[in-house]
Formats: sequence, structure tokens, C-alpha cells
Amino acid sequence: MSGVSSAAYFARRVAQKERVRILYRRALKDTLNWAVHRHIFYRDASDLREKFNANQDVEDVDRIDKLIAHGEAEYDKWRHPDPYIVPWAPGGSKFCRNPTPPAGIEIVYNYGQEDNP
Amino acid sequence: MALRNALLRHLRVPVQNLAVRGSNQSQIGFLGSMRAFSSHDDHLSKQDVVDRVLDVVKSFPKVDPAKVTPEVHFQKDLGLDSLDTVEIVMAIEEEFKLEIPDKEADKIDSCSLAIEYVFNHPMSS
Repeated sequence: MSGVSSAAYFARRVAQKERVRILYRRALKDTLNWAVHRHIFYRDASDLREKFNANQDVEDVDRIDKLIAHGEAEYDKWRHPDPYIVPWAPGGSKFCRNPTPPAGIEIVYNYGQEDNP
Repeated sequence: MALRNALLRHLRVPVQNLAVRGSNQSQIGFLGSMRAFSSHDDHLSKQDVVDRVLDVVKSFPKVDPAKVTPEVHFQKDLGLDSLDTVEIVMAIEEEFKLEIPDKEADKIDSCSLAIEYVFNHPMSS
């Protein structure tokens, strides 16, 4: 195939690999959301890994695209409605809760001594 | 009456102004940076971060613990897969209670990058 060594082909492959990595990352986090107990999570994570490994030798770019789209559809279907998000991250419970006070504001430590300094 | 007033004038004790020392004390102020109950001085030390990241990498089942050093590259030196790299980054996220955005996590490829990212992150603990 003439497209094998062209830069566009490689760029497409690299983009696909990145999509696969991000998909795997999100799917793994989702698995952790669903399967909270660690032994169940390990089992489900290895199943997920098997699914990814089964397709790792595919070379045809279009087929890879279809597989990635299929994987992303599966991920969307299985997304947890209440995922665990670290509290200070966007979507977490502490996000933007206590913003840093604006600069120049200073606390005067004279509690109780305001009236009789 | 006038005599009495004259006598009282001599016996009057002058009012003394006690030195107002209370106002000076509030200006000693608190020592600038020492806050005993602050929760913002608990950033990890670099050595701590290095130790914990190496522990995470060593306890990965596909990794040979003898080869792990702070500069090791996951794919080139340890022979791991890109999906294994993703798993290691997730384990590091769990270890330090971080949330790394997807784009940033994709770039973490070696131990040194991971250590640098965790050390520079303000919320790692």
C-alpha cells in the first residue's frame, strides 16, 4: 500500500493510539466507579484489558476507527451516574468552595480589644 | 470656705497618666509565616514523592522491581505497554489522591515525569 509510509498514515495511527489510551483510562475509572470492592474491580479490570488486548494487532486504519467508535459507544452506555471525583477537582464537592481571598485583604488580630485598645 | 479650698488645693494629688501599654502589644503581631493550625504547609517533600512513586511502580505485577529507578521510562526501560502506562498513571493518581486531566495523563511516560508532576501539583497528599 502506498499509504503505509506516509506521514498522514502515521499521524492517524498516533491519534488513534491516543484515543485508545484515553478510552482505556476512562473505562478503567468507570470500572472502579461501578466495582468498588477491590477484588471485583481487579476481575473486571482484567476483563477490560483482555478486550483491549484482543484487538491490539489490527493494522487496517478504518477497522481500528470502527473498533474505537464501538468502544466509545460501549463506554458511554456504561458510564456511572455518580462517579467518584476527587473533592477539589471540577465536579467534586469541594470545587470552588473556598476560593482564595483577594490579595491585599489582611486580618487584624485584635479580637476583644477593639473597644479598649 | 476659701481656706478650705486653699488647703484642698495643696492636698490635691495630681492625676497620673498610666502608660498605655495595651496598645503596644497588639503591634507585636504574629510571627509572619508560622501558623500553628494551618493546613497548607503539608506539601510533600521530594524524597517522599520519589519513594511513594517508586513503590507504586515496583508493586505493579508486570514490572521487575530491581530495574526501577527514578529516571526509568515505562515503555523503553521496563518494556511495558501503553495500556500498562495508563494503569500505572491511574495507580499513581490513587496513591496521591490526585485527579489528572486526560491530556496531562497521556503525557506521563516515565518515572521522572510522574515524580515531577506529583511534586508540582498543589493538591497532592
